[in-house]
Amino acid sequence: MNTEHNTAQIYIAALGLVTMILGLVDILVWIGFTGGIEFGIMGIAGDDFFRWAWGGLVVFLGGALMLSGCRNVGNIQEFSKVLLGAALVWTIAACDIFAMICENIPAGEEAPEFLNSFAGFVGGFAPPYAPAVILLPFTLVIAYFFYAWGFADES
Amino acid sequence: MSKKAAKILLVGNPNVGKSVIFNRLTGSDAVVSNYPGTTVDYTEGTFISGKQEYTVIDVPGAYSLEARDKAEEVAVRMLHEHRDATVVVVLDATRIERGLYIALETIEMGRSVLIALNMIDMAHDRKISVDDRKLQKLLGVPVVPLTAITGEGIMQLSDMIRKAQASDVKDILARAEGRASEPAQASGCAGC
Amino acid sequence: MQKEEHPNRHKRQVVQGADMVLNEDQRWSLVDLLAKQTISAGTYKQTVWDVIGELTVKPLTGIPVAFAVLYAFWSVFGSFAGALCTDGFFVKFFDNHFLPWMQAIWPDPNSILYFLFVGDPLADNCFEAFGVLTSGLFIAIGVVLPAVLIFYLMMAILEDSGYLPRLAVLVDTLLHKMGLHGYAIVPTILGLGCNVPAITATRILETKKQRFIMMTLLAIFVPCGAQLGIMLEVIPESVGYVMLFLLIGYVVFGYLLSKIVPGTNPEILIDVPPYHMPQRANITKKLWMRTSGFIINAVPFVLLGVLFINLLYIGGVIQWLSDVFAPVFVHWFGVPKETAGPLIAAFLRKDLAVAQLSNIEMTQYQMISAVVLISIYFPCVATFVVMLKEGWKELLAAVGVLFAVAFIYGGIIHAIGILLGVA
Ligand SMILES: Nc1nc2c(ncn2[C@@H]2O[C@H](COP(=O)(O)OP(=O)(O)O)[C@@H](O)[C@H]2O)c(=O)[nH]1
Ligand SMILES: [Mg+2]
Repeated sequence: MNTEHNTAQIYIAALGLVTMILGLVDILVWIGFTGGIEFGIMGIAGDDFFRWAWGGLVVFLGGALMLSGCRNVGNIQEFSKVLLGAALVWTIAACDIFAMICENIPAGEEAPEFLNSFAGFVGGFAPPYAPAVILLPFTLVIAYFFYAWGFADES
Repeated sequence: MSKKAAKILLVGNPNVGKSVIFNRLTGSDAVVSNYPGTTVDYTEGTFISGKQEYTVIDVPGAYSLEARDKAEEVAVRMLHEHRDATVVVVLDATRIERGLYIALETIEMGRSVLIALNMIDMAHDRKISVDDRKLQKLLGVPVVPLTAITGEGIMQLSDMIRKAQASDVKDILARAEGRASEPAQASGCAGC
Repeated sequence: MQKEEHPNRHKRQVVQGADMVLNEDQRWSLVDLLAKQTISAGTYKQTVWDVIGELTVKPLTGIPVAFAVLYAFWSVFGSFAGALCTDGFFVKFFDNHFLPWMQAIWPDPNSILYFLFVGDPLADNCFEAFGVLTSGLFIAIGVVLPAVLIFYLMMAILEDSGYLPRLAVLVDTLLHKMGLHGYAIVPTILGLGCNVPAITATRILETKKQRFIMMTLLAIFVPCGAQLGIMLEVIPESVGYVMLFLLIGYVVFGYLLSKIVPGTNPEILIDVPPYHMPQRANITKKLWMRTSGFIINAVPFVLLGVLFINLLYIGGVIQWLSDVFAPVFVHWFGVPKETAGPLIAAFLRKDLAVAQLSNIEMTQYQMISAVVLISIYFPCVATFVVMLKEGWKELLAAVGVLFAVAFIYGGIIHAIGILLGVA
């Protein structure tokens, strides 16, 4: 057990915990209908079952997977769980980003033209972001571990 | 073509790459997917090798010739309907046991058989090596290793098709148990 | 149900060909001998992909993955087909440009031809106009084509990755309770794209009983990609409820059918192939084949469907049917009697029927009931034809079951609505 793994384990444990909490908050906002919350650049609208309850559940489970594997990340079995957990968060984040792209390519419903202006397109990516998107850069560190620790090498 | 088209049946377990081989040989568009049961009906196509025209039939995957599901029923029916066809049994090199079972069944039927040992790339990745020469000697029918997905070995396969031959399972058993020496050139796989 | 060496070992020999020399056990031991002498496995280090492959079939870790996959499927579908193509582009094109243009250039708004091809001269959107060239083209090209395109793409990726058989292992226990095998999930998922290949895919199931149950459930409870696409457009806020009703129906009637239908439900082993990176060439080929198939087969069907329905309206047939079945519709199913029109259209194409529903005035719950009814009451004509190919006896039985289920379930949904106070 080297020190790099030790720090990584603490990082992954913290990340897993935060991810679980944020997933849970997604679901709670949906249940509670508090009308959505905003926190810095993070926003949870909670208005839609599919995005917040279901998507939130996936984020929550992703965090749980990371947490369940964080005790012994040098081990391939455990690391795979962490990677899988991160992949769940990536899935939700990627879907959010894809949705933003799809929504920002066309001009608004009222506008006469078909394509959005470049400024309008870029402007559509302004915050707030869903928790999964904010978690994305932090979980990408796990992809770095995947390469750095040699799990990616073929045999 | 002066000669009548010869028939070839592509037989083997589900998901071993039969449809990929079929598409490679015939340039057709049989559906290829990574789950057992993609092909549940047969597809026909043709190709020409060494002045001989061949009709190839992509038979649905089967684990045995006991026809337990509808796809296997089709497979058995195809084998019976095309009595004169050469049978190419496709094996997945990463799990050849299950394929050998149906290969033996076809040999026992007295059919003229050729073994296509597919997915060599994957076997290589998984550090599995299959001794194709040895297998050929034991079975007494030609064995061609190939990687259908990249096309490696497809040419050899089409060249070897005319060397497909029948074998006797009693002899195979004897050789496998070490009771008989390797086949003499005449009785074994001639020209392999 | 797990990967196992010899799938046939404990199977009874069903047919033993006359020309077979060995019996099953002898053959397996010969296989073992041959394998021993030809295979040598080096030390293979397990990769992360192998471990993840195992994790995706274990319930505790596999169920989260299944949730994520389904989420991604639906999310990408909605973003691409809904937000980008239909709402972002086609609605604007058809409503602001194409419809006014058609209305302007087609002569004589009072003629029959105008009614058939352009539809309502006062309509300001392509759902209401309901002419062959206005609504027909809009539904086929503007709504359903983007939906099936993205659906076929995701389906091809799912098929080629090797995830489907893993999903089958995962849901095996659950589906066995319904008298089905885990592998039944494969036709079900395929059916969400189109019921036609799904019906053919039921052949992988072992017994007549399993095939029959699966086919019936497919025809009744699994909406196809075209239908999902139009639902997303017409009733975005209620799709979830419709799907919930369909899912409940799938499970409940699957269970009942497994108790009623005679026959056995044997365990079969699912072969779990390794994960593959889907190959671009194969994906594009499949996508192209299926999409062009859709354009060639389905688009004319939608157009003809609109024509046919309009002719029936002119001939007064739909009015007559609405009046005759009014008591059933209004009192038993709790939907407006005008639903008769869409129900006829549903036999041709379900997407068309849902589009037509959007023109009928009704409450949200009535809309949900009507969409569920359209989904379950009869398979579309293409599905009907492939079912016929699988055997006419089964088809007749399936149709019998279907009418019974549609009648009972439609009533139950109405009753639920009354209990909830929303009907
Ligand atoms: N790695 C590798 N994959 C292959 C090879 N041949 C086929 N495949 C893959 O195996 C899967 C099954 O192929 P398919 O032709 O549909 O099998 P069939 O059921 O026997 O017709 C597909 O995902 C193919 O891409 C090969 O030589 N190497
Ligand atoms: Mg195939």
